[in-house]
Amino acid sequence: MSRLVRSFRPVVDNDKCTRCGNCQTYCPEGTVMVKSKEDGVVYDYRFCTGCGICANECPVEAITMVREG
Amino acid sequence: MSFTRMMEGNEAAAWGAKLSRAEVVPAYPITPQTELISHIATMIANGEMKAQYIKVEGEHTAMAASCGASAAGARVFTASSSQGIVNMEEGIWMPPGRRLPIVMCIVNRAIAPLGSLRPDHNDSLLQRDTGWIQLYCENSQEVLDTIIQAYKIGEDNRVYLPVAPCYDGYFVSATATPTTVPDQDEVDDFLPPYKHEMYNLMPDEYKAAPAFPRNIAKARYEVQKAMERAKEIVEEVDRDYAKRFGRSYDGFLEEYACDDADAVLVTMGSMTGTARDVVDEMQAEGKKIGLVKLRGFRPFPTEELQELAKKYHAIGIVDRNTSYGSAGGGIVSMEAARALYALDDRPLLLNFHVGLGGSDVTMRQIEYMADKVLEAVETGKVKEVVDWVELHEMGEVM
Amino acid sequence: MKNDQLFDEYYEKSLMQGGTACCPGCGGPTFWRMALEVLGPNTILYGDGPCAGCATRNIKLPRFGLHFSFVADGATGIVAALAAKGREDITVVSGGGDGAIGDIGFGKVSAAAERNENMIQLCIDNEAYMNTGIQKSGLTPFGAWTTTTPQGKENQKKRIPMVIAQHGVPYVATASVAYPRDLKAKIEKAMGIRGFKYIHTVMPCPTGWRFNPAKSIEVVRLGVQTWSWPLYEVENGVLRLTMKPDPKPVEEYLSTQGRFRRLTDEQIEFIQKQADNDRERLLENDGKNIQF
Repeated sequence: MSRLVRSFRPVVDNDKCTRCGNCQTYCPEGTVMVKSKEDGVVYDYRFCTGCGICANECPVEAITMVREG
Repeated sequence: MSFTRMMEGNEAAAWGAKLSRAEVVPAYPITPQTELISHIATMIANGEMKAQYIKVEGEHTAMAASCGASAAGARVFTASSSQGIVNMEEGIWMPPGRRLPIVMCIVNRAIAPLGSLRPDHNDSLLQRDTGWIQLYCENSQEVLDTIIQAYKIGEDNRVYLPVAPCYDGYFVSATATPTTVPDQDEVDDFLPPYKHEMYNLMPDEYKAAPAFPRNIAKARYEVQKAMERAKEIVEEVDRDYAKRFGRSYDGFLEEYACDDADAVLVTMGSMTGTARDVVDEMQAEGKKIGLVKLRGFRPFPTEELQELAKKYHAIGIVDRNTSYGSAGGGIVSMEAARALYALDDRPLLLNFHVGLGGSDVTMRQIEYMADKVLEAVETGKVKEVVDWVELHEMGEVM
Repeated sequence: MKNDQLFDEYYEKSLMQGGTACCPGCGGPTFWRMALEVLGPNTILYGDGPCAGCATRNIKLPRFGLHFSFVADGATGIVAALAAKGREDITVVSGGGDGAIGDIGFGKVSAAAERNENMIQLCIDNEAYMNTGIQKSGLTPFGAWTTTTPQGKENQKKRIPMVIAQHGVPYVATASVAYPRDLKAKIEKAMGIRGFKYIHTVMPCPTGWRFNPAKSIEVVRLGVQTWSWPLYEVENGVLRLTMKPDPKPVEEYLSTQGRFRRLTDEQIEFIQKQADNDRERLLENDGKNIQF
C-alpha cells in the first residue's frame, strides 16, 4: 500500500550505522527500528511513507533515500 | 417512601432525575429551566442525590459533556430551553447518530428574535429531524413520570436513542400542581442501572463505537428503524409504568371526552389542561367537540392519528409554533397532514397558530378554535386553512 | 516475513499502528508515538479534527470524539463519568489542533481550565487549518503564508499557554517533537498531577509550512533554538525554562520554510524583536511565580 504513497524509500547501510536509534526516535510512523546490535536497523516497508526524516537525522549518513520502484 | 405534594414542574423534573439515579448532569442555566438545575445542585449538596454536576460554560459544552459521559458508561441528565437548545444544535445531532440514550428536558421557550422567556414549541420541534424521541408533558406529575420512563425507553437495547421530555416554561416549569413522588426502591425495580451493550470506553473492556455500515444511507436507516421500534417501546413502558405506579399517559395520544364528538382539537403541552375545561363546558352546552392530547411527537403517531381521522369529520391542529413559508401552517399540522394523506377518506383539517412567543392560550381562544372546527363540520368545508388566532383577536383581518 | 512480525508486535506494544494517513513527515504521529510511550494503556483518548484526528485513528486506545469544534467538552463528560464510577485511575487525554483550541473552542479550553478538570489537554499545533487546505488560524505566526493570508498573516500568534497559565491550573507546558526527552518528561509529570494540565506542542507540517518532509525535525529544532518556540513549564504558577539554547537568529528558522518566503527585511526584524523580547521576558521570570 505504501508503495503508492512513497516516492523515495530509505535504504540503510548497517556497516555505517552506529545503532544510535535517532531514526527510530524521530520516525513518525514507527516503521524503522534498531533490531539488535548485530542486525542493526530494519524497516517496515509495508507502512513506511518515505518522508526521509530518518536519513536527515542520521548522524553518520548511513541512510540514503532511493527512488521508489 | 412515596409522597404527594404541590410541586412545580422544574422541581418534579429534578425528582425525576434523582429517582432515575442520573450519574452525570452537565447543565448550563437558562430561564425557564434554572430552578431545575438548582434543585439538582441542592439535592447533590445535601447528599440526597449522588451525581457529578458539571457546571459547564455553555449549552454546546453541556451536550458534548453529556455525550462523553454517556459513552463512558454514565447515565446522563441535562436540560435546556430555546436559545440554549439552538446553541447546542451541533451537539444535539450527536446522540442519535452515536446511539447515546441521554435524557434532556426541553423546557419549552420561544426562540429569539420575536420570542420571549415564555413557551412555544419551536425549540423542541426544530429537533424533529435529528432522531431524538420527543414526549410532551402537561403538568408536573407527567414531567416526573416521563423522565423515569424516558430512561427505560432510551436505554432499551432495541432503541438506544436519546429522549427529550418537553414541557412548557412557566406554565409547567413554574406552576405548582399536585405531584406524587414514587418510592426510590420501586423506581430502582422499574429502571435497572445503565449498561450500554454497544459501547465501552474502559481500557480493560474497550468496545469501539457502534459499527455502523459504511454506507451512510444504510447507517441512517438503522436510526430510523430504532425510532420505529421505539414506538412500541414507548407504549410498552407506559403500560408497565401504569401497572407499577398507577399512572398512564396512553402512549402517544390521549382522547379526552371524545365519545360523542364530531370533531376534535389536537393540543400539545400545557394548553391541554385549559382545553380540557373548555371542552367540558362546551359539551355541557351540547357542542360535540372532543380533545386529543398529542403526547408524543417523535416518533410521530401516524397510525394513531389515522385511526382518529376515521372517527371525526374535522380535526383542528393547534400549533404553538411557526414555520415561515411552509407548505401550510405549523409544524404539527404539516406532519398530521402527511399522516392523513394516506387515507382514502380524509377529514377536514384546520390549523391554528396560538400561544406564539409564549403568549397565554386562553379559554376564549380555545373556544374560538373549537367553534371553527365545528363550523367546518357543519358547512363541510374549511374557510381558513391556517388561522392565526391572536391576529383575529386583535381584529386584524388576514 | 520475520521483520513484519517484529513490527506488528511493536505496533501492539507501542499502542500505535504504523502507517497513518498523515502526510509523510507530519509531526502528529511523531508526537503521539512519543507520548504513548509515557501514557500507557490505562488511558482514554478524546478529540477529533482533520489533522488532530488523522494520527489518532491509528492509536490502540479507547477513543471518543464528536467533531472538530468539540474541544475539552466531551472529555469533561468522560472525566465525570469516571469519577461517578470510581475509576479516576484512568488518564483522560483530550487532544485538539490549533484551530480547535485557539479559535473555535478557546472558550471551552478556558472553561475546562477554570473547572480544573482532571485531564491532560493537548494542543497539537501545526499553526493553521491544514487538512482543509491551509487556512489561517489564530495560532498562525505573523507573516506566514496561508491560502487565506496570501500576503502573509497580518497579526501575531495568539499566546495560548500563558493565557491558560493565568487560569491558575496546576500545570502548563510547551513541547517539541525535536526534544523527545523533554516532551516525555512533561507528559509524565502531567500524569502525576491532579487537575487541569495543558501541554502545547508544535507539530511540524511539511505540507503547510512548505519544506522537504525530511527536514521536519530539523525545522522545529531550529524553532526552539531561535526562541520562536520556547520550551518551558509553569507548575503551580512557577515558570521554569526547560531549554535555554544560545539564541540563533530567527532568520535561520524562517528561511527553512516556504511559508515565510515573502517576508521583507523589516518583517524579519520585527519577528527577531519579538523573539528577543520573549526570550528576555522568559529568562527574567525563570523560576518566578508568574500567576497574578
